[in-house]
Amino acid sequence: MIQKKICMLGGFAVGKTSLVRRFVTNVFSDQYHTTIGVTVEKKTVAIKDHEVMLMLWDLYGEDEFQKVRDSYLRGSSAYIVVMDGTRRGTLDTALALQQTAARTLGSVPFVSIINKADLQTEWEIDEGAIEQLRARGWTVLFGSAKLGQGVEELFRNITTQIMHGSPLPTERL
Amino acid sequence: MSHRPFDSVPSDDPLFNRILSTLDIAVFERDEPSGGFRLQGLAPEWWCARVGPEASTVLDLEQWSPFLRDYVAADHSVWASESGPVEKSGPWTESDGQGGTMTLEATVLSMESRTVLLIERLGAGFEQMRSIVQRARERMLAEDVTVKSHRKTETRLINQLEVSERTKDDALALLQHLGLAALVLDERGCITFASDRARQLLGASTGEVIGREWGEVIPFHQQDRTIFRETINAPSDSRTAGPFYIDSAQPTWVEVDIHRDPRHPGRQIVVVNDRTELHTLRRALSEQASFHDLVGKSPAMLRVYQLVRDVASVDTTVLIEGETGTGKELIARAIHSTSGRRERPFIAANCAGLTDSILTSQLFGHKRGAFTGAVNDQQGLFEAAEGGTLFLDEIGDVPQPVQTALLRVLQEKEITRLGESRPRKVDVRVLAATHHNLSEDVVRGSFRADLLYRIRIARIRLPTLRERREDIPLLAHSFLMTICAATGKTIDRLSPETLHRLMSYVWPGNVRELRSAIEFAVISCKGTEVSPDDLPPEIVGTPAVPTLAPWIPLQGGDEKSRLLAALSDAKGNRTEAAKRLGVSRATFYRRLVELDIPPR
Repeated sequence: MIQKKICMLGGFAVGKTSLVRRFVTNVFSDQYHTTIGVTVEKKTVAIKDHEVMLMLWDLYGEDEFQKVRDSYLRGSSAYIVVMDGTRRGTLDTALALQQTAARTLGSVPFVSIINKADLQTEWEIDEGAIEQLRARGWTVLFGSAKLGQGVEELFRNITTQIMHGSPLPTERL
Repeated sequence: MSHRPFDSVPSDDPLFNRILSTLDIAVFERDEPSGGFRLQGLAPEWWCARVGPEASTVLDLEQWSPFLRDYVAADHSVWASESGPVEKSGPWTESDGQGGTMTLEATVLSMESRTVLLIERLGAGFEQMRSIVQRARERMLAEDVTVKSHRKTETRLINQLEVSERTKDDALALLQHLGLAALVLDERGCITFASDRARQLLGASTGEVIGREWGEVIPFHQQDRTIFRETINAPSDSRTAGPFYIDSAQPTWVEVDIHRDPRHPGRQIVVVNDRTELHTLRRALSEQASFHDLVGKSPAMLRVYQLVRDVASVDTTVLIEGETGTGKELIARAIHSTSGRRERPFIAANCAGLTDSILTSQLFGHKRGAFTGAVNDQQGLFEAAEGGTLFLDEIGDVPQPVQTALLRVLQEKEITRLGESRPRKVDVRVLAATHHNLSEDVVRGSFRADLLYRIRIARIRLPTLRERREDIPLLAHSFLMTICAATGKTIDRLSPETLHRLMSYVWPGNVRELRSAIEFAVISCKGTEVSPDDLPPEIVGTPAVPTLAPWIPLQGGDEKSRLLAALSDAKGNRTEAAKRLGVSRATFYRRLVELDIPPR
C-alpha cells in the first residue's frame, strides 16, 4: 500500500490536532491540549481505486516557545497549513511556515484551511486577506473541526493532489 | 560532551542496566549486517508494555514508529563524528500499549564504528515543561480574547458615539430648521445648550450663554423672573409659563415650556416660544374691545376711542357730553393718559351743587383770611393740576360768576386766588363734561355762550348704553369678572335668559346702572351662573322688548316723525312718550328742543 507523509502546520491552537482527530477518529474535544513534539496518526483512504495510507504528522504549533524543525518536514509528500479564522495573527504564522516548508520540501502540494468556521461571526481573517492568499496560488478551504465541516474535503483534496498532481475544486464560504 | 567508551560497559552490567531502567531508556545497537536494531541490556517497563509479553529484542522500525524510522533514516552527520553534537529526535508521542500514550525521545550515537539508538520515555520533567507551555498558551489565548473583547467594546462605543453625534447633529438641524428656541439648564440652572433661535431671541452669542446661570442671560423683568424661577423649581415634569417680556434689542414676548430631562432629572429643557405676534394681535383685539378702562367694541365706542386718540394728541379743551353713567370721567382719564401730560396730575372736580364761593375757592384757591374759615393760604385745583389735566364734571351746573372766572383762566392761562389780586400763571388742560344740553342752557341764559365756545373746541359725545346694546354682554362679563375677583365668589357666567333681560332693559342709568345690576346679581347669586332671578327687580320686571324693534333710536332722518308719533300715541304725555321710545325724559326733552318740536 502506498504511504504518504502529510505534515500539519500552523500556529498554536489553530486546530491541527482537532482536524486530524476528527478525520481519523471522528472525535472532537473542546478542551485545548497543546501538542509538544509530534504525533503521527494513520488513516487509509481510497482515491480512484487506489488505497493510500496517509501518515499524518501532527506537528506542534509554532510560536515563540517552539519552532518547527526542518527535519520533521523532510520526506513529506504534501502539507496542510491551518489557520484560525478568529485570530488574524495565525495567518502571518501560516505564511511563514509555508515559506519554510516550500524551502525545505520544494514544490510539493499543499492546502490551507481556515478553521473554526463555526465562529465565523468572530472571524478576523476577512475576504480581502483570503483573496490575497489565493492570489499567491494558495488553495484556501474553510472548515470546522468542531462541527466536522470541510474535514473530509480537506484530506480528500490534499490526497488527490498528491496522487494526481492537481487540486480538486475548492468550496468557498 | 564526552562519553565513556561503549565497550567498557558490558550489557549485562547490573549497575548499568539499573541506571538505564531507572531512566526509562531502552538501548539498541545497530546490527550492521542486517541494518536492524537489537535491544541491549534490560528493557524498561514501557518497552515491554508496548511490544507485549513475547517481547522481541529486535526493533522493527517500519512497524513500530514512522517517526523513529524517519529519524533513524535521516542523514545524521554526527554518526560519522564522535566528537560532534548529539542530535536528538525531539519528542514524539506513541501508544503505550495500554490504551494511553507516552512521549518518547530518541538519540542516535555512533561510537567506535558501532551505532547505538537510545529511546527515552520522557517523564515528569517533560510533563512539567508541557504544563508550562500549556499555561502560557492558554494565557495568550485568554489575553487575545480580552483584547478582542476590548476592541469590540471600543468599536461599539465608537459606533455609539458616531450614532449619538449623528443623532445630535440631526436633532440640532431639526431644531434649527424648525426655528425652535431651546435651552438646556443643568442642576444649578446654568445653560449647557442653547439653539441658534434661542440665542437670537436672547440677543446673545454661544460664548455669552453657555455655562452662565439663566438669570444672567435671559433679560426678564423682575416679576417675570420670579415667576420663571418658581416654574423651574416646580416639581412636575412638564410646565408652561408666560407670557414673559424679553427686553432685548428686539423686544419679544415669549411663553416657555419646561420639561424635566427624562435621562437626567436634574436637568431642564426649556422651549422658548416666540409669542410676539400673538401678543400683538391679542393686544390689538383687546384694544378693540376696551380702551383704557372703557369697555366696548361697538362702532359707536370705536368712534369714541378714535376721538380720544385724536384729541389727546392736541392740547385743546374738550367737552365730553353724555347721559349720567356713560363714563364721562373715564373718557377724561383716557384723554389724559394718552396725552403728553400723562406724567403730570389728573384732577377731577365735580362742579354740581356747590356755591360759587366754595367752587371758586376750590378751583382757584384762596388767601388766608379771604373769608371766614380761611385760616391758611390754600392753592386751588388749577394750581394742583399744574402741568396736567383738570376735569370739570357737570360744567353746566357751574354758577355764573365762576363761569366768568373760568373763561378768564382759559383765555389768559392764569388764575387769581380768592383774596388776592396778583394773578398766577397756570399750565393746565381743561376737560369738561356735562349731561346738560349746554346749547339749551345758553338759550335759557344759564350758561355763557363764550364759555361754551371756549370749552367746546373739541367735543366727544358718549353714546348711551341703549345706543350700544351689543356691548352689554362684554360689559356684563367684564363687571362679573371684576366683581367676582373683588368679592371672592366663583360665578362663571350669565345664563342666556339673564343676558336676554340685560339686553332688553332700557338702562336709563347707563353703564353705571349695569355695573350696579351685576353687583346686585353677584350678591344674590347662589350658584355658578347668574339667573334672571338674581337681577334687580326693575330689570326682571320690565317686559322684554320685542326683538325686532327693541328700541327706537333717536337718530336718522325720520327721528322727528318718530318723536311726534310717540307723542301722539302717548296723547301728548312726554314722560309716556319717552318711555315708549326707551329714552330718558331728559333726553326726550332735549331732542324736542334740538329738532324744534314745539311743546303742546
